[in-house]
Amino acid sequence: MQKKVACSFPDEVLEHVFSFIQSDKDRNAVSMVCKSWYEIERWCRRKIFIGNCYAVSPRMVIRRFPKVRSIELKGKPHFADFNLVPDGWGGYVLPWIAEMAGAYPWLEEIRLKRMVVTDECLELIAKSFKNFKVLVLFSCEGFSTDGLAAIAASCMNLRELDLRDSDVDDLGGHWLSHFPETYTSLVSLNSSCLGSDEVSLSALERLVGRCTNLRTLRLNRAVPLDKIANILGRAPQLVDFGTGTYGADLQSDVFSSLAGAFSSCKELRSLSGFWDVVPAYLPAIYPVCSRLTSLNLSYVTIQSPDLVKLLRHCPSLQRLLVLDYIEDSGLEALSSSCKDLQELRVFPSDPFGEEPNVSLTEQGLVSVCLACPKLQSVLYFCRRMSNVALVTIAQNCPNLTRFRLCIIEPRTADFLTLEPLDVGFGAIVEHCKDLRRLSLSGLLTDRVFEYIGRYAKKLEMLSVAFAGESDLGLHHVLSGCESLRKLEIRDCPFGDKALLANASKLETMRSLWMSSCAVSFGACKLLGQKMPRLNVEVIDESGPPDSRPDSCPVDKLYIYRSVAGPRFDMPPFVWTMDEDSALQVHALHVAEYNRKPDWIGVGTYEESIQGLRAKMPFVLYLAELSNTSQCSSQPLLSGDTTLTPPRPLLRLPIETLESDDKTQRSKEGKYMIKMRYSMNPTICFEIRPISTRSFPGV
Amino acid sequence: MPNMEFQLGLALPTPSIIKGFDLNNLGLDHPKDMGGLEARNKPARCFSDKSKRSFEQAFGNFEAECKTKTLLLLWSGQPNEEEDHNDQKKRTFSTIDDRNDAEEVDQVVGWPPIKTWRKKIFQQQQQQHRVGRIGNNRVADKENGSRSIYVKVKMEGVAITRKVDIRLYRSYQTLTNSLITLFAKYKKCADDDYTRYILTYQDKEGDWLIAGDIPWQSFIRSVQRLKIVRNWG
Repeated sequence: MQKKVACSFPDEVLEHVFSFIQSDKDRNAVSMVCKSWYEIERWCRRKIFIGNCYAVSPRMVIRRFPKVRSIELKGKPHFADFNLVPDGWGGYVLPWIAEMAGAYPWLEEIRLKRMVVTDECLELIAKSFKNFKVLVLFSCEGFSTDGLAAIAASCMNLRELDLRDSDVDDLGGHWLSHFPETYTSLVSLNSSCLGSDEVSLSALERLVGRCTNLRTLRLNRAVPLDKIANILGRAPQLVDFGTGTYGADLQSDVFSSLAGAFSSCKELRSLSGFWDVVPAYLPAIYPVCSRLTSLNLSYVTIQSPDLVKLLRHCPSLQRLLVLDYIEDSGLEALSSSCKDLQELRVFPSDPFGEEPNVSLTEQGLVSVCLACPKLQSVLYFCRRMSNVALVTIAQNCPNLTRFRLCIIEPRTADFLTLEPLDVGFGAIVEHCKDLRRLSLSGLLTDRVFEYIGRYAKKLEMLSVAFAGESDLGLHHVLSGCESLRKLEIRDCPFGDKALLANASKLETMRSLWMSSCAVSFGACKLLGQKMPRLNVEVIDESGPPDSRPDSCPVDKLYIYRSVAGPRFDMPPFVWTMDEDSALQVHALHVAEYNRKPDWIGVGTYEESIQGLRAKMPFVLYLAELSNTSQCSSQPLLSGDTTLTPPRPLLRLPIETLESDDKTQRSKEGKYMIKMRYSMNPTICFEIRPISTRSFPGV
Repeated sequence: MPNMEFQLGLALPTPSIIKGFDLNNLGLDHPKDMGGLEARNKPARCFSDKSKRSFEQAFGNFEAECKTKTLLLLWSGQPNEEEDHNDQKKRTFSTIDDRNDAEEVDQVVGWPPIKTWRKKIFQQQQQQHRVGRIGNNRVADKENGSRSIYVKVKMEGVAITRKVDIRLYRSYQTLTNSLITLFAKYKKCADDDYTRYILTYQDKEGDWLIAGDIPWQSFIRSVQRLKIVRNWG
């Protein structure tokens, strides 16, 4: 009866109803109801989130969702932030942009995290998407301000350009002047990560002046303090402002114009920046402090009393990022001034120092937790901790959703009792029932993992370092944490047993990272063979893992679920444990080429390689040797030689070749690869069976 | 399939000829060759983990490390009832990269977990605040914001010149390992299986020297280009 009712709605009605459903989870649920709902839903899905760019291929996404307007992609694993993922590992966005350029001409938003983006990608975006509005590059790398200039010049409807934390090759501030004088749509600009000393101030001021909808402006360090007043004067409607350098010789006229500019910003709620602070200039922001909800002082190297003086003016503060110069006394003061605090991040000012340089201990965090009932998110670096402190925190802040504690020295015990901190973290997971993210540190045995497995039912992300005693620890987590999506582990004595025993759990998670643990190469191979929907990647810069016994532990291991199969763009120090490694293609050098327009002669790979020149991204197509003018229309793989060292070896598992011509699969013989985007050298490669133990043979 | 066998000796080779792609034996004079591999086969050194160790004890300080050749921190889990102890010994691993010419020592890679760009800012600020103090101003690796240094690498008998970013490597070991991987495919079958190669470099003065004699940090400041030459000796 109900089924009949559902089918009697015309598609347009259902589509209209679905348009009110925004969350991905709900959308996915809708699509599973029945075939017709699946069909309708997929045609009206506008927004896609892909947490791991290698979990699915661009073509698969496009095939299912033909009308996407907004895409979010994440690339490298989180530990890449701390240099644990070698350069060249992957995370290239070019294949995605290349495919979407054709399939989604009306794409409006691209949000990327930890991906490799090149100027060529940015140029392609600028050229391909006529209604492009939002570009967020969070912790990305590989591009320069030239690419940004292309975006600025072409994207007339651009609203948001956010480069937060990205590693940009800053060639100077001239890219800003590429925004045409007629361009006025900017709403949000975050260029705070740009490192050059040069910035085109006049272009910046003109841009700010004509974009009357500007709400967020985060400047980079190169913008001097005495220019802030001018900029703010042109944008009094700002809600979120990040200064550049906030230090200069104290001059009263500069101070007063600065204070005046701030006081005219009635909408300002968030402040950041503050490089090279001169404390005497801080009072200039007092006029806005009472309304501030977010304050990022993580570059501010002033002492606790000055920090406290500032914070006393900010009773509405909900989010604070600060250095440990604030000390326990400052946090105590914070807890009495800022009752609405929801998020606190305390960074170490001297993380590699041998002695503590500030008086910041567990007491500071405890005092905040006792006095700020709304606290939900904590990131805290300190040098000592106790179980009793953690228990106190847990009992007083049951609403914590994110708790990341970093005791700077690994394996530090409870300083009062010299015991492990198992009980303390156990209390955290027991009391904080909505905890979604947890980072552990200090001395920890398997016991803490028992608690986590038992209590942390909503935990989605767990970071573990220098902890545990045996596989039992890992087993507790994998078998107990029902909501676990991301697990990252380093330097723990976890080996094969727990991993293999919980292999199926891994398919329910986004990813698992293990480095400097005790997982053997043999176990990795077994996992890769038994679990075809997992990509088991072994990362080892010291050489091929099969040149050592199977029992040898691998250096780094990254396992993630994927419906796209093993990826094509791995560097030479990454191996995928394939289901069927018997038939693999070893492609030849891809990295070196020049700009000659011809096909290179066919033959051995040496003949096809040309000298390395400008660093350009590329896309490879598969082409039959005998018919060089034709090649498959679908890209075979793509990559980017802007990364260094150049990646000399690609492996293309033949089963995952996606080619229109099915006869090309499993076909031994010589092939030719053609480059796209006007870089036309050819690489020859050969498809032939190899034994599993032979590497790096070509 | 032909075995890509050749050795990349960093010093004048010893008379014995070693066959095979043997990462353990690259003709180095230094006692510890493979970062991690030998460490993994060594019996564990258990640190008392009940008491707090100072930073120096755990990771050494710069002055101490100048005197030692290698820095190794091994961990072996507490023996489990189910395990036999042979397994236990194999499951050692190092938390710090093995250094065979440790004039300067890095901290543990990626610890504490602070984003690279934040570290850069700390270091810049510390350099302002602490003029004259040796301690934290050592900037030993690429994490600390140094720019890439590309050097050309040519292998004798191979037409193609490669380029590598010297800043990516922390020691001769990691450099030679990477070069082996890069150039292994160029090894032609025709060559004698026992052919050995030497890594040479051209320094600032234009002289060609054998790589491996000077400390790594001096090397990277001085190297202009690299050449892998056959050694017939």
